[in-house]
Amino acid sequence: MANAHREIQELLADYAASLRDGSVPTFLKSLTKEEAKRIGESKDFWEATEIVRMMNSASFGAKVVTPDVGLFISRVDAGIASRMKKAHASTRDPSRSHVNLQ
Amino acid sequence: MDKRLRNALQQLTASDTESRRRAMEPFVRATFAMFIGHLHRYLGNEVECEDVLEDVYADIWENPDHLRNIEDDRHLLRTVYLYYMRKRLREVYRRLNRRSCLSQADMQNLMAPDLGLADLVSQEELKELLRTMLDKLKARERKAIELWMEGMSNRAIANQLETTVGAVKMLEFRTILKLREMLKEHCRESGAQG
Repeated sequence: MANAHREIQELLADYAASLRDGSVPTFLKSLTKEEAKRIGESKDFWEATEIVRMMNSASFGAKVVTPDVGLFISRVDAGIASRMKKAHASTRDPSRSHVNLQ
Repeated sequence: MDKRLRNALQQLTASDTESRRRAMEPFVRATFAMFIGHLHRYLGNEVECEDVLEDVYADIWENPDHLRNIEDDRHLLRTVYLYYMRKRLREVYRRLNRRSCLSQADMQNLMAPDLGLADLVSQEELKELLRTMLDKLKARERKAIELWMEGMSNRAIANQLETTVGAVKMLEFRTILKLREMLKEHCRESGAQG
């Protein structure tokens, strides 16, 4: 991604590689104003991204594994517990939110 | 749809928050692989996928209304993507956009797009569809795409095809557009048959 002014085919190849390698933020940061404009105006680029996502999913999506789904579930549950706590706290004692100005 | 998933969905759309919380475990177990595989299409990074998915499940717990009357797995995935995943994907990339030259609209189209022609096709169907399309390509085009899908860099592909990196990128671009036309044709034909 070192070129200053990449053509649309280079931009697509770099986007595809970054999606495959899990480094999309790096690709986004690498875009110059000119390249961003080029992407915005290219119908071909947008059409091609759908196929890139398909290729990425077909070849690498199935390999995504989490060794311990139980651990992931406990993270989800902790998130839910935190939201319940917040909802409870905001409805429990509305007078607490009043500030005594005197 | 799997019976366990159907039961979990029923409990998930119950009115009280504790029942919904209990239903989350079987729901996550039944849907994790499907959801994370789908998210991977947009993020391509397992850690990011897990972080986003964690918020998606909590959002579903908080407001499961969109999941009433789900008919099958594809309907479920479509609903979860449109009402829960997309919102979270956009948040991830809204943060990134502060340092990017892409416009907000282009960023959203790139990272959390509308559902495309084959976005709800299952992993197996997708592989089959791609294999059929790849069979119709010229040998060199097919080789470039297959090597890319094996995880090779463009430089390594260029070495294999005995050409330059620039030529490989152009070949991939043209071939991808060709595949896109094939996909459109496939969708038109299956639409006509349906």
